[in-house]
Amino acid sequence: MRHHLLPVSPKTVHWGYFSKVVAPALTLRSGDRATIETLTHHANDDYERMIKDDPGAESVFAWTREHKALARRGAGPTQGPFIRGSGEGLGVHLLTGPVAIEGAEPGDVLEVRILDIRPRPSQCGCHAGKCFGSNVAANWGFHYHDLIEEPKPREVITIFELDTSGEPYAKAVYNYVWTPQTDPDGIVHATIDYPGVRVDHTTITKRENILADIRVPARLHFGTMGLAPSEADFVSSIPPGYSGGNIDDWRIGKGARMYYPVAVPGAYFSVGDPHAAQGDSELGGTAIETSLTGDFEFILHKKNDLGGTPLEGLTHPLLETAQAWSVYGFTYPNYLAELGANAQTEIANHSSLDRAMRDAFRKLRRFLMTVQRLSEDEAISLMSVGADFGVTQVVDANWGVHGTIRKSVFRCE
Amino acid sequence: MSVIVTPPWRRTVELVWHGGCFAFRNPGRVMSFRPFTSESYAQDERPEAWRDVLNAAGLQPAAKSSFYDGHATASHRNAPGVAVSRLAAGAQVVAPLPHAHEDLPIALLVTEDGAVLKSTEGHRIVPAGHLVLLPRGGDCSIGFQRDLRAIALSVTSDALHGRMIGKLEFTRPHVIPPNGLAEIFCGTLAATARSLESLSDAEWSTVAQSLVDLLLTLAHQQAASVKDACNSATQAATLHRICQTIERRLDDAELTPARIAQAEGISERYLQKLFEGAGDNFSHYVRERRLQRALADLSNPTEAHHSISEIAYRCGFADSAHFSRSFRQRFGLSPREFRQQQAERTSAAAAPRGQRGWPHQALAQLRAHQVAPAKGQTMLPAQTNDLAAAQQRHHLAVSADRVHWGYFSRSLPPQCEIASGDTITIETLTQHASDDPERMISGDAGAESVFGWTSTKKNVDRRGAGPMDASVFGRGAGEGFGVHICTGPVAVKDAQPGDVLEVRILDIVPRPSRSADYAGRVFGSGVAAWWGYHYNELLAGPNPREAVTIYEIFADDAEPHARALYSYRWEPQTDPFGVVHATYDYPGVPVSPGSVKRRHGVLDHVRIPLRPHFGVIAVAPRELDFVDSIPPSYFGGNLDNWRLGKGSAVYLPVAVPGALLSVGDPHATQGDGELSGTAIECSMTGTFQVILHKKGQLAGKPFADLTYPLIETATDWVLTGFSHPNYLAEFGAQGQSEVYATSSLDLAMKDAFRKMRRFLMHVKGLSEDEAVALMSAAVDFGVTQVVDGNWGVHAILSKRLFEDVS
Repeated sequence: MRHHLLPVSPKTVHWGYFSKVVAPALTLRSGDRATIETLTHHANDDYERMIKDDPGAESVFAWTREHKALARRGAGPTQGPFIRGSGEGLGVHLLTGPVAIEGAEPGDVLEVRILDIRPRPSQCGCHAGKCFGSNVAANWGFHYHDLIEEPKPREVITIFELDTSGEPYAKAVYNYVWTPQTDPDGIVHATIDYPGVRVDHTTITKRENILADIRVPARLHFGTMGLAPSEADFVSSIPPGYSGGNIDDWRIGKGARMYYPVAVPGAYFSVGDPHAAQGDSELGGTAIETSLTGDFEFILHKKNDLGGTPLEGLTHPLLETAQAWSVYGFTYPNYLAELGANAQTEIANHSSLDRAMRDAFRKLRRFLMTVQRLSEDEAISLMSVGADFGVTQVVDANWGVHGTIRKSVFRCE
Repeated sequence: MSVIVTPPWRRTVELVWHGGCFAFRNPGRVMSFRPFTSESYAQDERPEAWRDVLNAAGLQPAAKSSFYDGHATASHRNAPGVAVSRLAAGAQVVAPLPHAHEDLPIALLVTEDGAVLKSTEGHRIVPAGHLVLLPRGGDCSIGFQRDLRAIALSVTSDALHGRMIGKLEFTRPHVIPPNGLAEIFCGTLAATARSLESLSDAEWSTVAQSLVDLLLTLAHQQAASVKDACNSATQAATLHRICQTIERRLDDAELTPARIAQAEGISERYLQKLFEGAGDNFSHYVRERRLQRALADLSNPTEAHHSISEIAYRCGFADSAHFSRSFRQRFGLSPREFRQQQAERTSAAAAPRGQRGWPHQALAQLRAHQVAPAKGQTMLPAQTNDLAAAQQRHHLAVSADRVHWGYFSRSLPPQCEIASGDTITIETLTQHASDDPERMISGDAGAESVFGWTSTKKNVDRRGAGPMDASVFGRGAGEGFGVHICTGPVAVKDAQPGDVLEVRILDIVPRPSRSADYAGRVFGSGVAAWWGYHYNELLAGPNPREAVTIYEIFADDAEPHARALYSYRWEPQTDPFGVVHATYDYPGVPVSPGSVKRRHGVLDHVRIPLRPHFGVIAVAPRELDFVDSIPPSYFGGNLDNWRLGKGSAVYLPVAVPGALLSVGDPHATQGDGELSGTAIECSMTGTFQVILHKKGQLAGKPFADLTYPLIETATDWVLTGFSHPNYLAEFGAQGQSEVYATSSLDLAMKDAFRKMRRFLMHVKGLSEDEAVALMSAAVDFGVTQVVDGNWGVHAILSKRLFEDVS
């Protein structure tokens, strides 16, 4: 077993997409561990608190008229003229990786264990040592077309501070309404439509004393973790799918084990979209987006060894925690295969919890029948009385419903 | 030239087994849509499941090609003899399924990526957007090299109802670019495939018939267009055209060969020759078509408002007595008898497959005959059982005269009146006790009284909000439109509309068996019922089916849990009044042990942790006299949220004077979703403290401005969102039907979001921006239930967020 270190730098991150063609940032073997740094793509909402004087973050977010450290942001076109910028923001998450696993082949299953998660403290002057995050009530939020107060519509950023001295919690520092921001290439972003645009704090009005006396319990986790899909070279990081990605389930935190079906040789694992806390549904469009560092262990389960194990025939991401198993239902379980050539944009027109619930039901039934060896009648009875279905997210185009079954249910006598 | 002979008339309701799914072949109002996804199946079951999907489309995996086991989805809808399938899967080769007696080719519209057609004539590229007509007998296949994305239309002679089509010389495949008629055909087929799920049954049947007509014309056109087409193909095309003209003019009682021949520009003699060549003659054919058309109209529910003689006239029978005679001669029963028989079949078939509650039409009739409700309902004087024992403690035992079954009502006399602050112990029974009467009813005086039902006496007659004469479905009094046994109602002194009733749950204890063999033990029942979320897509046969699982409850264990004892599949049960219940369509029908096959050893090694709670806690709704107990709404009711257990409270907006609180539907445990249709249903007794918050004193309270049931637990606020927050007000008179037709988690999520935003803004004093930020970061939304018509999403706000920061 070796322990690797993967810090963030322009060479070790890719922005807004999963890809089977990007060169791996790290190659390791089954059984190895790695400490992987991740950055939130919302750090520029408050440059001073979340980027300034942090060499890793500075290097990734660097963008002047002459130099843009990471030009491509998203799976969109990289040839101008651009509406929003290279990659067109079709996918937004800063992902560290990919991590290639030696010997991984399509049909295998990759198990990723999260051993630990730590926040990344600010390195800037008076904020040094404190941890900050940003929550955005954005144009892709569930609430956006259903606002009651003026001005309508609006996007609102709330900056949180994370207190880890005791039981960790987050507390709001201030908020502001998004104003049109001009990026170094001269493109004006009237709404939040492209990641990593630095917010000029002279153009905004900060409102303090918000969410006074409210402590949001921390739930450190990675919103986006997964493997490169096989269907396309560049796949938007926003809709989650069969190889994981932007699942946005806060249960994928310390102690969790995720299982993903490998779709391309080497598996190509990437991780990002770090969250300090999120509620089931991620209603406003984002969590408390906070840069985090994780310790991971990777275990490759070869296709031929899967028979008779809970991983046999796995075609979707599966979560195991100390207490429970969870499957993830989506509006389209494999939208890339189901929606054809324009899947990556088409998916946003089909978002539906009703379809996601249907998918979660089918996946949990299959799990209970194949892994727990129940008959269909047993599986359905048990799902009704012992399984819980919840809303994972309603903001990632391919909406999610998770089905959870407690392990204690299966205790034998 | 030969003719496709009319198959003998078959219109029995027949279950067609399609390996994994089933469809009713009755052309009634039965939803015939079937979704498919490979995600439902384990890897090694996928090839078989996918083969079934292809077969339903008239296709099969091509010989020698490997079985496809990758990701695949499909939607399929059928009508008699017509099947449209939209297929999406990976690369593979498919071929038509051989069918000796069918002449119409399979139409395959290639929607993306193109394909390669292989036949005895060699290879041909089929570009995307082109149509392929595949002969059913021919030696050909079509390969999709990237992905299979296609729409298939299969038409068999069942769709023709005796219409003649000339012998089609269709022996080799045709690739047709989308021009002219083919363009219209492809456009219609593609549009149909997109709307398969949303078309109503009546719309679907019209669309399916149009597709049949288009395909017939197109196929004849193609067969005749072939360069070396023999004379017979031209003749067949002419005959087909003539038959279409006849179809259009069946209402013309004066339809003669001369007039048709004239319209076609051929001689009458040639016309007769064409029919003779097809083994028929003109007048016999026209008569047969008239009778078949009449038959179709008589069985069509959307034609129900036309009289039999109107239909006869429309089909070209000027004399209705003559029509009746001919009809009986042809089909063996009179038009009236046939129509009656069809109507019964339709409702019998539609009922269990359709929605719960009132059917739309019955509700419309009810409205027409409704009498204004009597005003000034007199309330009975308070009857408090243990008034003497303790001034403020009450006990409501369960018995036939202390329950109302399957409905809420503002006009029920209260069982007792209590004051704000009083505590009351209420015994409740599960309506599923009759699933194992020996364990859950016998020896228990209260249960025996409520469930008491012999051929001459039914202690609680009304079960549901439906008509007492069971004139809708004939299931029994109340029609089972609502199923829960509710104890009460309890009137609360001084309660007025606008007040808020707080119901605290102090304790919940299960009700042990009193039967000699099982005394002291506790049992419950879980039903995977026809209203369950899973019911339309069961994998294994028999299909569909309802399954009952009997559980034993171990409430006193260190870790209280339930274990399955045995299960059985529902078999038709005859109730004491002689009504047969083919499905679980009426509550409290005793299941006799001999009528079902008990299977033991189910859910072996599975222990389900208990979450005791009451599914139903309600105040009486203001809108109607009899309200179905199944859909939850603003007044509470069938909330089915397990968080409403011991130590929690629910706040309900009072809607009628006295509030009229009822409790029932006790659950030993339930999962979020209540997927199969029920929880572990187990009789229990609850102790409640009831506190009345007067309208004038609500300001500043968490439950000020309350228009929905609000749950408070030791740690959380739980807000209840529904597809339709107040379905009775939203849909008016249609409500009790419409609420079942428009179930949606997407709507319930919206409602939960709006309620939580309002709570955070008005109760917690946050701005909208703060509320949205907090909801995103800290509020958990979950699925409450997807089986009660008015589906539920709840939003959980942890009280920890607001704990004093010191």
